[in-house]
Amino acid sequence: MLIKRKSGEAGRAKLQALTSGLTSGVLDRRTFLKRSGLAVAGAAAVGSIQLGAVRKAQAGPTNFSAPIQLRKNVCTHCSVGCTVIAEVQNGVWVGQEPGWDSPINRGTHCAKGASVRELVHGDRRIKYPMKLVNGEWQRISWDQAVNEIGDKLQEVRAKSGADSVFWLGSAKFSNEGAYLYRKLAAFWGTNSVDHQARICHSTTVAGVANTWGYGAQTNSYNDIRNSKTIIVMGGNPAEAHPVSLQHVLSGKEINRANMFVIDPRFTRTAAHATEYVRIRPGTDIPIIWGMLHHIFANGWEDKDFIAKRVFGMDEVRKEVAKWTPEEVERVTGVPGEQLKRVAQTFATQKPSTLVWCMGATQKTVGTANVRAYCTLLLATGNVGGQGMGANIFRGHCNVQGATDLGLDVTTLPLYYGLVEGAWRHWSRVWEVEYDWLQARFDEVPAKQGRAARTRKANMETPGIPTTRWFDAALMPADDVDQKDNIKAMMVFGHGGNTVTRMPEIGKGIDKLDLLVIADPHPTTFAVMGERKNGTYLLPICTQFETTGSRTASNRSIQWGQQVVKPIFESKDDYEVIYRLAEKLGFADRMFKNIKVEGKQPVPEDILREINRGGWSTGYCGQSPERLKAHMERQGDFDLVTLRAKDGPNKGDYYGLPWPCWGTPEVKHPGTHLLYNTNLNVRDGGGAFRPRFGVEREGKTLLAEGSFSLGSEITDGYPEFTFGIFKRLGWDQLLTEKELETITRIGGNNVDAINWANDLSGGIQRVCLEKGVVPFGNGKARAIAWNLPDPVPVHREPIYSPRIDLVEKYPTLPDARQFRLPNRGATVQKAGVERGVAKDFPIVLTSGRLVEYEGGGEETRSNKWLAELQQDMFVEINPADAAARGIADGSWVWVNGPDYGSKAKVKALVTERVGKGVAFMPFHFGGWFQGVDQRSKYPKGTDPIVLGEAVNGVTTYGYDPVTAMQETKVTLCQIKAA
Amino acid sequence: MARMKFLCDADRCIECNACVTACKNEHEVPWGINRRRVVTINDGKPGERSVSMACMHCTDAPCAAVCPVDCFLTTADGVVLHSKDLCIGCGYCFYACPFGAPQYPKVGNFGSRGKMDKCTYCAGGPEADNSPEEYVKYGANRLAEGKLPICAEMCSTKALLAGDGEMIATIYKERVLKRGYGSGAWGWKVAYKETIAV
Amino acid sequence: MKHVLSFSLRAALFGLFGAVLATFVAATPAAAQQPFNPTAQAVKEEQLLQQLQQVQGRISIPDAKASVLIQPAGREWRTFHNTTVFWTGAISILGMMGLLAAFYAVRGRITIDAGPSGRTILRFNSFERFVHWMTAGTFIVLALTGLNVVFGKYVLMPLFGPEAFTTVSLLGKYAHNYLAFPFMLGVVFMFLVWVKDNLPSSVDAAWIKAGGGLFVKGAHPPAKKFNAGQKVIFWTVILGGVALSISGLILLFPFYVTTIEGMQTAQIVHGLVSAVIVAIMIAHIYIGSVGMEGAFDAMGSGEVDLNWAKEHHSLWVAEEMGKAGNAKVPPSAVAAE
Repeated sequence: MLIKRKSGEAGRAKLQALTSGLTSGVLDRRTFLKRSGLAVAGAAAVGSIQLGAVRKAQAGPTNFSAPIQLRKNVCTHCSVGCTVIAEVQNGVWVGQEPGWDSPINRGTHCAKGASVRELVHGDRRIKYPMKLVNGEWQRISWDQAVNEIGDKLQEVRAKSGADSVFWLGSAKFSNEGAYLYRKLAAFWGTNSVDHQARICHSTTVAGVANTWGYGAQTNSYNDIRNSKTIIVMGGNPAEAHPVSLQHVLSGKEINRANMFVIDPRFTRTAAHATEYVRIRPGTDIPIIWGMLHHIFANGWEDKDFIAKRVFGMDEVRKEVAKWTPEEVERVTGVPGEQLKRVAQTFATQKPSTLVWCMGATQKTVGTANVRAYCTLLLATGNVGGQGMGANIFRGHCNVQGATDLGLDVTTLPLYYGLVEGAWRHWSRVWEVEYDWLQARFDEVPAKQGRAARTRKANMETPGIPTTRWFDAALMPADDVDQKDNIKAMMVFGHGGNTVTRMPEIGKGIDKLDLLVIADPHPTTFAVMGERKNGTYLLPICTQFETTGSRTASNRSIQWGQQVVKPIFESKDDYEVIYRLAEKLGFADRMFKNIKVEGKQPVPEDILREINRGGWSTGYCGQSPERLKAHMERQGDFDLVTLRAKDGPNKGDYYGLPWPCWGTPEVKHPGTHLLYNTNLNVRDGGGAFRPRFGVEREGKTLLAEGSFSLGSEITDGYPEFTFGIFKRLGWDQLLTEKELETITRIGGNNVDAINWANDLSGGIQRVCLEKGVVPFGNGKARAIAWNLPDPVPVHREPIYSPRIDLVEKYPTLPDARQFRLPNRGATVQKAGVERGVAKDFPIVLTSGRLVEYEGGGEETRSNKWLAELQQDMFVEINPADAAARGIADGSWVWVNGPDYGSKAKVKALVTERVGKGVAFMPFHFGGWFQGVDQRSKYPKGTDPIVLGEAVNGVTTYGYDPVTAMQETKVTLCQIKAA
Repeated sequence: MARMKFLCDADRCIECNACVTACKNEHEVPWGINRRRVVTINDGKPGERSVSMACMHCTDAPCAAVCPVDCFLTTADGVVLHSKDLCIGCGYCFYACPFGAPQYPKVGNFGSRGKMDKCTYCAGGPEADNSPEEYVKYGANRLAEGKLPICAEMCSTKALLAGDGEMIATIYKERVLKRGYGSGAWGWKVAYKETIAV
Repeated sequence: MKHVLSFSLRAALFGLFGAVLATFVAATPAAAQQPFNPTAQAVKEEQLLQQLQQVQGRISIPDAKASVLIQPAGREWRTFHNTTVFWTGAISILGMMGLLAAFYAVRGRITIDAGPSGRTILRFNSFERFVHWMTAGTFIVLALTGLNVVFGKYVLMPLFGPEAFTTVSLLGKYAHNYLAFPFMLGVVFMFLVWVKDNLPSSVDAAWIKAGGGLFVKGAHPPAKKFNAGQKVIFWTVILGGVALSISGLILLFPFYVTTIEGMQTAQIVHGLVSAVIVAIMIAHIYIGSVGMEGAFDAMGSGEVDLNWAKEHHSLWVAEEMGKAGNAKVPPSAVAAE
């Protein structure tokens, strides 16, 4: 909507003389110059200042006499995927320009995106490899670092096994980096490889995938422009995903859409809602069931949709019946009338979409929350079409891609589970013997009555998640269901303050024999605990200093160009992973099909390998060439449909959002909206994925009378295998080469070869020809019988302020998950008994600020951003503040109920939070329990702004399905400092 | 002739501060100097609105009127610029400015102000367009390159509009008519002695 | 003048109103718990400006003054600066000069009626004179540099050109900022040294009634060390000096203790008081130099002619003589030659 000037001529028009006069104050520039005698001085100065010489430290003015190169990359902060245009002169990044052509951000940015250039200024980056020797940071060479780290890893492996090394990856990796890292862990022989998705949207992925097939945002930011009703629940995109609000607010304006914000906190997003609903933290399921209560009672549900495409809604009705408006108000605090209004609007003024973020996911009931949300969408028929769907706003720039590519303790790349078939699939893609891979894994002895595990069984057992690694380091080895405790940790691109129970983490860090931090910044990992030796810092460059693809929240994959060469001695993830693999002795196997130049793997080649194996998720059609072509012609893509109207990519959706079926040559356009039956599969249509069988208790799990446009099969159908192909006679349509591949892979069970492991892509190609979805056409599940609560059930947080409700809605019983015990029920019970709710009466919740991201080391080191948020704070309601004699801006202590934990922060007295609720942002670190840790950072690498981490006072609580931590509801006490 | 103005559509502004950092990044504005800022009114209460504010490049600019050394000039585009060579850092423009635009680096003892700095509408200063000297004193001159102020160009929700006053007023009017609400063209009455009637 | 007063008044009222408003808002936190429509209830600029004198909010940077979004009062300050202080200053200073010129034309130089006696008496000791000249000297620089800020661009800039004028003004700014301190010290010393002689006394009324004898040749109403006119000057310097010092310090340490309204008010006080004092000081300078024979010596050598002293400060001379009679002749009251 900006009026953009077209040429420089217009700009110079202002030089035209105007009548000057002191009275009007209007004076043209030339007259002014003449009068002030400045013109001569100005001209003289032009020649005297040398600009080309500046590098890094002073990226000064753009010198218009030297050529400027424009490089296109993608913002490295949130998942919106804003295009960044960098102006580069003599290898120095001198300016940023708006990327007008990007259909995602159309030139715009938030505070972070508008200042990413500073990341490559890098004043406070790690400049060279370092190690901690007797408490002092020493500079070392890359060779020394890799050698020492490799030797130590082998030593740990020999003594404690492969599972004793915890590989923590990053949502800041490119897809190629994430894939390589997962591959590295597989070649090392462990499934304990994880990343930020664990603490971000792991419960979303689990909840959504268990409902309708894939763990991802169904629609896109742009598609919200089509919505008539928008609910944002448990999210604050105005701060976490600011550019998404461009689409949300445009949609709200164009359609005069209803925008409800349901949240304990009156956020910047809520300020733009058409109705704000304040709830008690941790009562999402009662809210959703309360809405469905009104919907079912009034017949507002979409009966046709439910009959054709949903399984098990009747089970939901039984649970919903318990949630009368009175009970909902008692539990959530929301009046029945208000919820009825919201429910009616959502169900009847369609299309409606539900947006959620970590307010829904970071809970002990995270997965159940997500499934309840999905159920609401299903009941109202709001999935699989324009303006509808589960618009899950993911967190980091490539958290979707890193999840897709398997930085997860339960999957291999692209959601191939940890089963033999999947391992065999990837060993075929990697061209490495399955037996060799298996031999890399530990044998696990029997412990405490638990059965022993063979190498094969261990290979198929989920690893230890990032929320619990320190428990696996601290607990007695017998409690940990693997060969030994965690002894070494490799941390790539991950903050240390993002996980709950920091007092325990510090102890866990001290127990490690080896801690390697590979990151542009030291991160809080470098200063936590009391380590004196055995910590290494490896300087990794940002994604602006390398190339590769990243997947935005809407599944669009964008290729980033290298803006400048890695600064200082930093290296990109690819090279460091290669060097480690080389040191560990399996580089030749690991990079068998990936071109390596020197020690630098070629990212394009890594993506091609992903394409060769990525059938299950449709990561097979996005060749580097196609992605680059999209980046070059962004302007061809439509703002709302994301489809190219013109140009060489005509018909494609922007960034080939997965699934993009078949080989790149098939030229599938990608899938903008998941499960959309209104389109042919060839045009991005789809259906719900029947991944849990075809029948349950005598009822079909396949769709009934619903199918995607142009499908040759006009009813539900299961996933396609070679066996089914033969029955349909479709095997005749496969080419000879495809048949040859299928036969070779299939061996003596060729009928079992399916759409997801057919390396020829033939099955997918034929499916597209026939207009059918390769994975089948099933029903979404309102009941997930494989999960702890098949129909989501409200459960009070571990530390709830409402002890009266804990008895009726207790947390799940203790159980073992992810090789560790989950003692949530014990902790909850003990909390009630010792009166935690009385001593710590304020609910503590947490969330994002727009200026910072994640653990915040990177953004707190960026001077443009750091200036805007200089102090860690706690938001406290005026009533609570008054009762405690706390003034706005004064220092306070926030006390947590466990470990005697405390945090010294500034009070922000505001009605954003209701009475009895406090909020703290989670980006701060570098202070711990009131003590400034600045001196522990290597010199010159300490972030500009330090502060207490909210996780210094957070407490126990894990989702049973994904080990997600509870960050959104715990208790605290606040007092004036 | 174009008359450049700013308009912040508070019903779009989400206090993301992109305008602030874009400005800092573009012009290398030092810590403590805020050519643009975002203020949230009624924070946390019903009716909360955020507004991005910088120099509004007023018609009959008060800063220019009170300047004891007459260091201001208004360009033909209506952009209010000033000369740091002439400014003596007296602070009078801050008293007169309705928008808190003038900023002063702290130099020397007590509250002694250095030469005033403010939003240039990305139009540099009196020096030759895009000369190094201009950049060092005032930052980039985007207007001379045929571009608009970076803050508005990068505004996440396109709340901050920059361009010819009539055109952005038309855009704003259309928006308000389309959506049915508008909290006003903040600062226009004070800066330009006009409002946008919808 | 009217709008200046109303401006200050409003600034004061605003504070009060803001406090009332804050109480109102704080008293109803429950309202936030009720369902509401943030879009429909958005604050409007129009409505805020009608209710309040300025629009203020929350800002994350630690700079309180940045949280003021719009302060239309700047416009009134501009009128004050460009019109009120300009004309007040111009009229009072030029007016005073005109008056003095007229006075001189009519009355001429006031001479010592009895003629110089040739004998002197110590009127001000060296410390008193030091204090006077420190204050006076800095005052003159402060006044000139201050006047430059108001009138310089009309008077000097056309002569010097903008660049040279900036150089002068910048030096003037530094001079003004730094010389403020000796000036303030001088005011303090003056007060300590002379306050006991400047308390109002019974003879002042008569002195005033007689017009100080200024208008009638040969009339010399009795006066102590300081006559009523000088007392006016003293108190003008003390009270005005204090006002200038306080307002000046506020301006010198911007936003340390006050907000933008406070800054504007301080500037208004500073400007108006300066205009008045400058005018009065011009009269003081006149009467202490060309206007009256023998007067300058009081602050020059410190020794005044006895006849001058008798005519203008008869009671003081008597007092001094009395002291001398009791003892010996005051050391200073010796024959000059």
